[in-house]
Amino acid sequence: MKKVFLLLAIFYQLSSFSQNKEVLYNFTSIPQSSLVNPGADVSYKFYFGVPVASGVSANLGSSSFSAYDLFAENGVDFNDKVRNVVNKSSNKDRVITNQQLELFSGGFRIGGRDSKSYISFGMYQEFDFFMFMPKDLAVLALDGNKNHIGKSFNLGDLSLKAEVLSVFHVGFHKKVSEKLVLGGRAKIYSSGANATSTKNSGYIYTGQNVGTPNLYSQTISSDLELKTSGISKFTKDEYEGNIARDIANNTFFNGSLGLGFDAGITYYFKDNLQFTASVIDLGFIRQSKDIETLTYKGTYQYDGVNPNFLGNDDPENVFDEFNAAIPRDTLYNKYTTWRPTKIYSSLQYSFGEYRSDEDCNCRTQVKRRYLNDAGVQFFAMSAPRTPLFALTAFYKRSIFEKLDVKATYTFDTFSNKNIGLGLSGTLWKVNMYLLVNNILELKDVSKANSMAFQVGLNFVFQDKE
Amino acid sequence: MKQLSVNTIISSLSLVFFLSCSSDLDFDQINDLKLKPVVVANLAYFDVRANQLLDNGGTHVLYDTREFDVFKDKFFTNDLLKAEFDFEVENTINRAFTLNQRLINANGDILETISYPVPAYTGSSNVIKYPTEVFENQRLELLKQTAKIDFELIIAAGPPLNAGSTGSIKLRSSATVYLEFE
Repeated sequence: MKKVFLLLAIFYQLSSFSQNKEVLYNFTSIPQSSLVNPGADVSYKFYFGVPVASGVSANLGSSSFSAYDLFAENGVDFNDKVRNVVNKSSNKDRVITNQQLELFSGGFRIGGRDSKSYISFGMYQEFDFFMFMPKDLAVLALDGNKNHIGKSFNLGDLSLKAEVLSVFHVGFHKKVSEKLVLGGRAKIYSSGANATSTKNSGYIYTGQNVGTPNLYSQTISSDLELKTSGISKFTKDEYEGNIARDIANNTFFNGSLGLGFDAGITYYFKDNLQFTASVIDLGFIRQSKDIETLTYKGTYQYDGVNPNFLGNDDPENVFDEFNAAIPRDTLYNKYTTWRPTKIYSSLQYSFGEYRSDEDCNCRTQVKRRYLNDAGVQFFAMSAPRTPLFALTAFYKRSIFEKLDVKATYTFDTFSNKNIGLGLSGTLWKVNMYLLVNNILELKDVSKANSMAFQVGLNFVFQDKE
Repeated sequence: MKQLSVNTIISSLSLVFFLSCSSDLDFDQINDLKLKPVVVANLAYFDVRANQLLDNGGTHVLYDTREFDVFKDKFFTNDLLKAEFDFEVENTINRAFTLNQRLINANGDILETISYPVPAYTGSSNVIKYPTEVFENQRLELLKQTAKIDFELIIAAGPPLNAGSTGSIKLRSSATVYLEFE
């Protein structure tokens, strides 16, 4: 019980509202920005990421409470804190965690010095977790039904999915003209572990109704389904392995396979007016390894023990009746899961022409550069029940020639004061970036409802001027 | 400007992290977690009509034994702190009754007898709510061994009952269980 709770608490702490990478998006001095828009206007002769350190990202947070609410050393009884957190939450509170770790990545220009076509590739490991706050079930576990007579506890509150996967990808983008960049990326997913339980319904009801034989009418109506892939062997008694190692092994070498695509575009209406759009992770995974689906479907009404004084005995047995009414079925069917698909778009206006400290570069026609970019970004992501949306205003500025900073202000369903800050600096050939959102909460991260960061190191080589 | 030192960039990047602070947190509090749900459930019920009880007016005993297997579930039994049983009888038959409920373990031994007198119906409302039976400590341990319940309904002598007799005797009851999961 405690383990389950701790696990949930950790998920809450490692979670955020969405996988929106609003600071990274269109931050084109960072090669990884092409992962959120394969059609981003990124150029290089070649680059490679520092293995395992080129792209580390995680979202931290929770929709309705913070670590401080639960774990503050303030003398308040822990159980009271749990109760407060549950009481102020709603079953619409979403918990979304996303973590990515780039194992390797690289890219190169193809077709000579004047070509504007690029190939990029890489592999990253990803962990996704999505859950709605199962409020009714939490209340039932905390309170029981005694003080909730007449209430229907909604089993549909239970909605979650989790996945560990590795993604191998190859992308291509081309600056078709001075105005247009197009790009696409193909992805092969290998899912080491998946759990999906998003189509649940039913209720647990205790009421006091006239015309029923006993004091209460008690009904459980259940339509619960949990699909798993790559997990069932860990739940067996005879399993004696290392779960983390086995999941990692499955993720990279023996996962359920899937296929996906990204596509993106950058278009310059004018030199200083740019439009971008992308769709990321339009794909599916065919869950086929070590699959197991558990269902509990049926309706059970509990009246209590009914002695029959008038002969014709029919023996009854609460457990057997319950198990017969709501049987636990195990199925072994393959199933398909859709990746959370993300859509980004932005409109950017640039101003303040850049004046180089360098002497006039007479050899090449210098493209006009701007010091400031400002604009808006839109983000949407598919999710159970309803999609997620976010709107971001941003301002980006080149502080020095090789140091860019971007600030974002994001509104979404959950927050209207999420300020993000990103820095990307290039020293010699080394590009370093650090992007953090919700910086207002940095003054006490334990009270933050959400945190997200991305950090990484790349070697980027441009043509010698 | 081009001579930006590594230190400048690294310190700008790490400044963001160092600026962040955190209140003192104590994650060991998770060990204090106790879920204490209080659950109510139906317990036992019957509804016997007078015209089903044919007799000549003498004492008359009805009897049935029922399986009661909820305590087989160790998860439930181990976390059960306290139980309360509430019984309510409504008698609209013009005979008095005694209701005996015996808790019986798997070996057939009687663990406890709960006995209630039920007065005869005299024309006015005859719903009796009996005092709550509280099971704690030793009494709770006995309850946890329960595997069956014997129901015995003793009909005291009175006017004979036949197919034309009216009224019924109804039992309704509930259990309130106090659980604690650590």
